[in-house]
Amino acid sequence: MKKSFLYIALLLMFTACGNNEDTTLDMAGMFSPNGPTITTRFAQSMHYNDSVGEIHLDMGADDYTVYACTDSHITRKSHRNLDYFMHTYEDAQGPKLALHFGDLIDAQKNFPCADSVLRIGGRAKEDTLFLSVGNHDVYFKQWEIYRSYFKTSVYWFDTRNGDKPLDLFICLDTSEGTLGPDQMNWLRDVLANKSQEGYRRIIVFTHTHVWKLDGSQGHTSNYATEETYELCSLLSKYGVEFMWSGHQHSRQSVIFKGVNFLVLDSTKDSEPGTAYATIDMGEHVIFHYHDYPKE
Amino acid sequence: MKRLLLFFVLLFPLMVWAGEPGFGARPYALSVLGEYSYNTVWGHHGNLDVQALLPFNPHFEMEAKLQLSTANVYTGVVQFRPKFELPVGEMFIETNVYYKALARNRISDITAGLGVGYRMDYVSVTLGVFARVMDDWDRDWHTNDTYVVEPFNLLYRLEVFCRPQSNPWNLSFLFSNVDDFQMERMWQPLFGINGWCDVADHWRLIFGVQCKPTGMFHLDATFYGATARFGFSYRF
Repeated sequence: MKKSFLYIALLLMFTACGNNEDTTLDMAGMFSPNGPTITTRFAQSMHYNDSVGEIHLDMGADDYTVYACTDSHITRKSHRNLDYFMHTYEDAQGPKLALHFGDLIDAQKNFPCADSVLRIGGRAKEDTLFLSVGNHDVYFKQWEIYRSYFKTSVYWFDTRNGDKPLDLFICLDTSEGTLGPDQMNWLRDVLANKSQEGYRRIIVFTHTHVWKLDGSQGHTSNYATEETYELCSLLSKYGVEFMWSGHQHSRQSVIFKGVNFLVLDSTKDSEPGTAYATIDMGEHVIFHYHDYPKE
Repeated sequence: MKRLLLFFVLLFPLMVWAGEPGFGARPYALSVLGEYSYNTVWGHHGNLDVQALLPFNPHFEMEAKLQLSTANVYTGVVQFRPKFELPVGEMFIETNVYYKALARNRISDITAGLGVGYRMDYVSVTLGVFARVMDDWDRDWHTNDTYVVEPFNLLYRLEVFCRPQSNPWNLSFLFSNVDDFQMERMWQPLFGINGWCDVADHWRLIFGVQCKPTGMFHLDATFYGATARFGFSYRF
């Protein structure tokens, strides 16, 4: 009995750690970082941001639509929902932008497929689709591959109507469950400076959710408690209106210290209850949730 | 609710008439410890801990703890612990209430936990659940702002000792998501090494180090924080 148990445990471990293309989990990451840590990723992102300059999207109107999805976990064989999201986004009329809150891919070696679905090269092409990096995106030391497509994981951009500033969007890298000291300091500086520039609202988006409200989040870890307190207090202090995230694969909404913490459903094909959101950005913010069509 | 009441009614005679605990009656003790601590959010900071152990009888003890931190965080803890001797080892029920006043963030954090533990000479294990309520000190009652409840978290603690626990000195290795002053989310384990040494009749030296990684269950673990503690306990 003991031998059987040991055999099964080892089999599961080796299966998870293998070099199979469809391997989802990188168990080695439980004990050591999966490649460059947040300190390195942050430094590389800042270097890239400095080289390309600031991004201002002229929406040509005060009102526009944000298309948002998260946790698509695509593989070479399965990317139906993300395809649908992209076609819906591209076919939509009017001023718009799109956000993906991370875990774009599920397993190893799927970034080429993700690139063909998204049909972008990231910020380098000044597209209006913006991504946040998720933990699955950096498993198996894939940060360099992610970076080769999407260039940066920590950045901000704003929307404008001509010279009139509208909304500020800040993307954070929380793919390892922490911001790390450098990114936290950067966030403090950005919020302290930008909150004075007359934006209509400030929105932070990232992969990892903040709260663990019920059993639906049983399988997903989030921040250490000190970081939860600090993040809430920082966002509240500078009047951030929304923090949008994913990671837990189920919808959630909490208002704490004046900040609306919203988590989206997943976009993963194999899961029930998948949905994306369209968000009307104007004087008021209105959310519409859309279920993906069944196969 | 009725079942819960029945459980506690049945528990009471067990507490009163159970045999002598196998680890001997612990004495009343007052401990003072200093801590150096670092985490990537609060940076370097120091803590002062005061802890009182009150074993009212061989089957029931209470602990009260207070921590003052230079990070501008203040923590109070109360623990009730009924104990029952078993043919081998000892079973105990751990009831914890932690209150954390985060003055730096103007947030309060209350956690309440209930666990069942079992200890033998070299091992102590506790398993239970806890709930957390976080509230904003500046919450405006006329808005949609709310307090946040995380109703279910797993509580676990495994401690392995080098010597029997009644030994005048010891060294232990700890894997847990709770310690004297924090109840972390279940995916944020703490790893520690603790020790004690009786240096005189009533005096015990206490020391320990603890490491807190983050992202272990993101499968992308990285260093988050560490604490070193040192102090004395006076055992009456």
